[in-house]
Parts: sequence; structure tokens; C-alpha cells
Amino acid sequence: MYDRKAVRRRRAALAVFVALSIAILTAYFGESGGGFFHALQRGAQEVFAPIESGASRALKPARDFFGWAGDTIDAKDQNEALREEVERLRSELADLQTRRRDTRQVNGLVGLHSQDGFPRGTRPVTARVIARSPSVWYSSLKIDKGSSDGVKLNQAVIAAASDPSSDRAVGGLAGKVTRVTGGTAEVTLLTDASSGVAAQVMPAGAAGVVKPEVGNPRDLLLDFVEGGRRVTEGTIVVTSGFKASRVESLFPRGIPIGEVTKVDLDEVELYQRVHIRPFADFRRIDIVQVLTRRPPGTETAGVLLP
Amino acid sequence: MRVSPSALLRVGLLLLVAVVLQLSSLSQIGIAGGHADLVVLVVAAVAYYAGSVSGCAAGFAAGFLLDLASGATMGASSLVLTAVGYGVGRFREVRDPSHGLMPIPVGAAATAGWVVAFAAVSFMLDVGARVSPLVLRDMVVTVLLNALLSLPVFAGCRRLLRPVLRVDRLEARRRGRPATREAGPIGLRGMEV
Repeated sequence: MYDRKAVRRRRAALAVFVALSIAILTAYFGESGGGFFHALQRGAQEVFAPIESGASRALKPARDFFGWAGDTIDAKDQNEALREEVERLRSELADLQTRRRDTRQVNGLVGLHSQDGFPRGTRPVTARVIARSPSVWYSSLKIDKGSSDGVKLNQAVIAAASDPSSDRAVGGLAGKVTRVTGGTAEVTLLTDASSGVAAQVMPAGAAGVVKPEVGNPRDLLLDFVEGGRRVTEGTIVVTSGFKASRVESLFPRGIPIGEVTKVDLDEVELYQRVHIRPFADFRRIDIVQVLTRRPPGTETAGVLLP
Repeated sequence: MRVSPSALLRVGLLLLVAVVLQLSSLSQIGIAGGHADLVVLVVAAVAYYAGSVSGCAAGFAAGFLLDLASGATMGASSLVLTAVGYGVGRFREVRDPSHGLMPIPVGAAATAGWVVAFAAVSFMLDVGARVSPLVLRDMVVTVLLNALLSLPVFAGCRRLLRPVLRVDRLEARRRGRPATREAGPIGLRGMEV
């Protein structure tokens, strides 16, 4: 049978409870903070507070466990996102550091040109290093400028110091051009085993030949310095750019090479051996300048090393 | 469900425990942005086993308790949970589903109705600020978590309420006896055999 009574009772129950809810809602909104329902709520919260506190304390291990699980899930997502961010930032950082280093090196080279004694009118061509030799025995670089840019054989190449802003010398001689194509050139560095440069200690004027110590790009040797000439640590060594009747140094006079770090004076030997820390950072050369023109009045008549 | 002191005590205790657990623990366990909601599951379970009248009464009481304890707007939870309890109870009375996994869709649907209706009521009442789309994500997570919790919660409620139920349909079905059906509005149903 269709139970009308049950239906009525059900509908009445629903209506009563909905009406009650709406009445409470209306009364709650209508009354002030000190009204009946607000007071009832405050009272109930005071009653519930210790129960909730106890339950919260009792259930803390379970909550911690689920919290740990949730945190682990969240941490996995965060980990993914952070990894991507780290990757992106690392890439940006590398890019910025490269730009910064390039800028420093260019600034170093510009600063080098403005130094006292540096040869004027050399018409430098700035080039980027595109390859370098993998062996310590053959120290050479390939640059992205060639004969079409005015680069020729045996031209001097300069490079910046490792940190031109903090170093008292901003750069120095790096090597010479030993091979040229239309768009590239090969630079043999001072650290190459075959290299040798006529140089002079300033201001004493002691002359010698700068040769590399293979395997140690941070140390050059100024050899054949006469024993009687006084050389002290910390003095600067520059290219001598000497000129004789038939021969002349490849490098113009006055290009800084390095700083004297130690002097080996052997009484038996005729010559002193002077250790030099080069100004150019041979380990990290990214940008160089080829001096494509000799200073006016010093045209090359021949080739000689030293 | 027979209205008796025992029944009132059991349902009252069930609702009280659910509200306390909800406020002291479950609300603080965030999983993927959302959290489980035990109160609506308990209301749905009471309605599912005891019928629509008991369901809407339990919904009203649970909402009242919840608003009292949480300090929320009084009456809002009662209104929505009354409707949820009534709806679940009617679903059971009209459809009389027999599948053992039925608590899962029932719990999920009840939760979905609860979160959506409560959001609508809250929005109409006193939410003046902009609502983030993340609210939708939290709602979905709550529905999914409640769906997972439905089976154990319904089983626990049934166990507690069984002594005071007029007819335990599942138990009757298990023993091979047809349950006595109450009269329904459709006519074909509700005829006692």
C-alpha cells in the first residue's frame, strides 16, 4: 500500500528541518555578536575545546603520518618543479657568467690599450676563440677572424687577465698569429713549446727571452738575462720590440707580458733565470685582440725570435 | 530506524565523534590540496541505513554541531546536510540498491552535493572576496578522498546502528529473506509482500 502517512511524515520532517535551518541562519545573521546563537556558539566552543584538544593530541601521530604522506606527495611535485627551475636558472647563470667574463675580458683589453707604454696605432681586431689545442705541448687557439678582417701572419695577439678588475695589469701578450685563412686564424700562445719573445724588465731594462715552461701556463721564464742586471720581484716584463740593422722583433715594444715572481741567480751561470707570472690568463681565453698594424715608424724588416 | 533513547544516543555519539574527528584531525590533513570530510559521510551512512527521515534529522544535527563547534555561520551546514541526508535516504528507499560497493558512489555523490551546495550557500551568504579556481580542485580532491573512505565509514556506521535499525536490509538479504519495504510514492514499490 502506498503509505500516505509515511510520505507526509517524511515531507514534514524535511520541511521542519529545512525551516529550522533557515530560521537559525536568519536569526544568526540578524542578531548581534552577543545574541543567542552567537553566545551558544561560544559556549559550545568552550565545551568542545578540551575535547578537540584531547582528540587532536591523541590523533597527532596519525595526522603526522598522513601529513608526512601528503608532504611526500607534494614534495615530489615540488621537486619536479624545482628541478626544472634549477635547470633553467643554471642555464641562465651560465649564460650570464659567460657574458660577464666576456665583458671583463673586453674591458681588460680596452684597459690594456690605455695603459702607459702600450704601443699606439695598432688597429686591434677583436676575435672570439672558437677552438683550442687539446695538448699541453702545442698551445694554440683558433679565432674567428682571418685575412678578410686584416689578420696576417706573425701579428701579435693580446688577451685579458683572469680578473682584470682586481689585477693591477688588465691583460698582456698572448701569442702570435701562425696560420691564417679567410675567416679564421691560428694563434700560437706564449706557452707553446716553440715560443720565444724578446722582452725587457721594466724599468731596469734587463733584456732576455721569454720562454714557456711546458705544462705550467702560470709560469713563464725570462732567460738569457745578464747576471749583472738587477731584477727584482714584482717588476713588469714587456716586449722589447728590439730593432737591429737587419732584423726586428715581431712584437711592438711595450706590450705587457707578465710580472716577475722569482729570480734564480746561479753564480756559476752567466745568465739569470727570471720567473714570470703572465698577465694573460692562458687557461681561460675567450676573447683576444690581434694587433693588425705595427705602430707607425716601426715597419717590420724581417723576422727574428727573439 | 526506531526512535529510542538508544538510537538517539548512538546517532548522537556517531555525529559527535565525526565532528570532533573532523575538526581536530581530518581538516588538518591536507592531501593534494583537499581533505576528507567525515561528517557528510556519516550523515550519508545514517541516511543510507536508516532512511530519509533519520537522514535529514541526522543531517540537521550534524550541521548544527559542526557550526557550533567550528564557529561557522549557524544554519548553513544544517541546511545543506539536511538536504544531503534526505537525498541519500530517498535514494535508498526508492532504488533499494543491493550492490556491496554502493557506499562508494553514494559517499562520493553525497560529498559532491555537500561541497557544491555548501559552496553555493556560503557564496550567497557572506563571501565577498574573489574565489580562486583552486576551490574546484579542492572539491574534487575531497570527493575522491571521501569515495575512498566510504566503504569503511559506511561499514562502521552500519555496525553501530544495526541494533537500532528497524530492518537491516543487507542482513536480511544475506540471510535470504526479503526485507519489509516501506510504502513509497511510486506505487509499485512499497507494497509489502
